[in-house]
Amino acid sequence: MTPVLTVRDLDVPFGDAPGLVGVSLEVGEGGRLALVGPSGSGKTSLLRALAGSGAVAGGTVRVAGADVTHLPPERRGTVLLSQRPLLFPHLTVFENVAFPLRVRGVRGGEVRRRVEEALASVRMAEMAGRASASLSGGQAHRVALARAVVGRPRLLLLDEPLSSLDPSLREEVRRAILAVQAAYGPAMILVTHDLEEAGRSAHRVAVLLEGSLAQVDTPEGVFRRPASPAVARFLGLPNELPGESGPDGLTLAGWPLGVGPGPCTRGGPRTAPQAGEPPHGPVVVLFGTDGMRIAPEGAAGLPGRVRELMHHPRGVTARVEVLPASGGTGETGAAPPLTCEVSVPPDRHPVPGEPVTLQADPARLHVFAE
Amino acid sequence: MSLPAAVPGTHAAAPSGDRPTGRRRFPGPAPATLLFWALAVWTLLPLAVLAVVAWSGGWRFPTLLGASPGTPPWSQLAGGWGPLAGALGMSLALAVGTGVLAGAGGLPLGRALAGLGGRWRAVGAGAAFLPVAAPPLALGVGLQFTFLRLGLGGSTLGVLLAHLVPALGYTTLYFLGVFAVFDEEIEEEARRLGARPHQVLVRVTLPLLRRPLAEAAILGFLVSWAQVPLTLLVGQARVRTLTVEVLAWTQAGQDPLAAAGALCLALPPLALMAAAALAVRRGEVVIP
Repeated sequence: MTPVLTVRDLDVPFGDAPGLVGVSLEVGEGGRLALVGPSGSGKTSLLRALAGSGAVAGGTVRVAGADVTHLPPERRGTVLLSQRPLLFPHLTVFENVAFPLRVRGVRGGEVRRRVEEALASVRMAEMAGRASASLSGGQAHRVALARAVVGRPRLLLLDEPLSSLDPSLREEVRRAILAVQAAYGPAMILVTHDLEEAGRSAHRVAVLLEGSLAQVDTPEGVFRRPASPAVARFLGLPNELPGESGPDGLTLAGWPLGVGPGPCTRGGPRTAPQAGEPPHGPVVVLFGTDGMRIAPEGAAGLPGRVRELMHHPRGVTARVEVLPASGGTGETGAAPPLTCEVSVPPDRHPVPGEPVTLQADPARLHVFAE
Repeated sequence: MSLPAAVPGTHAAAPSGDRPTGRRRFPGPAPATLLFWALAVWTLLPLAVLAVVAWSGGWRFPTLLGASPGTPPWSQLAGGWGPLAGALGMSLALAVGTGVLAGAGGLPLGRALAGLGGRWRAVGAGAAFLPVAAPPLALGVGLQFTFLRLGLGGSTLGVLLAHLVPALGYTTLYFLGVFAVFDEEIEEEARRLGARPHQVLVRVTLPLLRRPLAEAAILGFLVSWAQVPLTLLVGQARVRTLTVEVLAWTQAGQDPLAAAGALCLALPPLALMAAAALAVRRGEVVIP
């Protein structure tokens, strides 16, 4: 089956700067791709280039097999839904939603039927006669969504549609987006900086870093098997420690972790990392607060000392200084002490200064060759 | 005696007692109130005198409301195509034409200027400002030389084009301000929704700019309506607008006719001010 969107080696300039280079991706029929990346990484520029509203320096964009790289926005069969609803203030809700139909020459009862259907899909049918300027933020977003799909575009591009909404409206609009996609079936690219939103809304996640796509995978693949330290850092893993990988397993700060190489991921420029042998030699290990935990007393593991405790809505974490394998406190040496933030089990109540032992969860360590 | 503050824009003070007044009270005549009434008298008195003279045909001391020596000039206007009505018609035609053309021309010019970079934008704005800032007589003499060579001297078309020069300057600068804050993303949104460029113009841009367009047209109308030097120099006294006639009647000592003409000149601005005040009261215009 021909993908709805095929992007090959697309270069998108940022003004005079090189911008994005060599972006390639595909979205299939009914697929939902979340485009994530830090601020300024070019997510919106890429989306605008796909919509025909932004410059393209090279490469091709195909929609349903047709090359639309140099076509104006109105001839692409795509609709970009901006962060702001951008409703036409001089038109009613009905006329706003009817706009894409009217400019395509659809007339009479067909317009009414399709507009009512689109408004019903976002639960705004009763607001059809209202002035668009009188709508609340969430209502305006839902009307904009109905307007975006009423013309049955093949591809719907959503540029951070939820970011300007408060949390309660965010959920409402997110549901509306998924409902209209189910009803109208366009392929969808959703730009967001919210990883949770990406994980909940998309079938696949594309990570845009430093001018190119660093990883495209399922949400689970990206979150559990980041393809590079840069992706892992973008995911917000708070801990990054130097280590060594050898035939006997992994050592961290000179201490054997007691875990084999088996489930650890390894780095490399791949879009879908697979479980396997980590590289032998110096490595960098990234992990979240769930990558290590404070072990029961007497257990073997990485010795450390609690520096501070941090309380979160979902539990307690501790910043632990890892004691060097050569002995000492780690505070007198030339190198700064290694610390990491780890989760504290509910039954443990350590205090700052208390010696503890850390145990690694090998499935949650991300090991990359240095 | 305490007087309420009647100056528009005065904020209501919090009432000190149980009686909500909604007005700030002064222990005596407030300077602002006195100033307001002085300004009102200063502005309206000449118009009142014009009305008396125009209606009664003259004003001789010590008569308070003037005498009625002959046929009032208003009846000339009502009675047929007299000199006043002819001049009024010419002025209206020129002002409407100037307003429409200046509004329609100022929009693309102002937009083009707004889209330019810093230095070119400043140069363009300066060029638009030149006919506005230049003394009308200097502008008129320059235009007269040009229009005479083009064979437009003494023609209505020549006067219309001459009026357009300062009017376009005003409306271009006006639209430069409008497009400095106009959100072009809404036009881009229309294109992304399938509208071709001409559909964006007709269905989005022009309806959104309806009010600025009307205001620019009114601006052009007023520039033409009050124009004297350009009309005299380019029209060569063959194009008889109301301003030219009023000037001639005044010089000839035909005070009642001059007064009636002057009142006619004052009517459109007064009507527009009233309309603007009404729009503000209805909340159609928000004063920041």
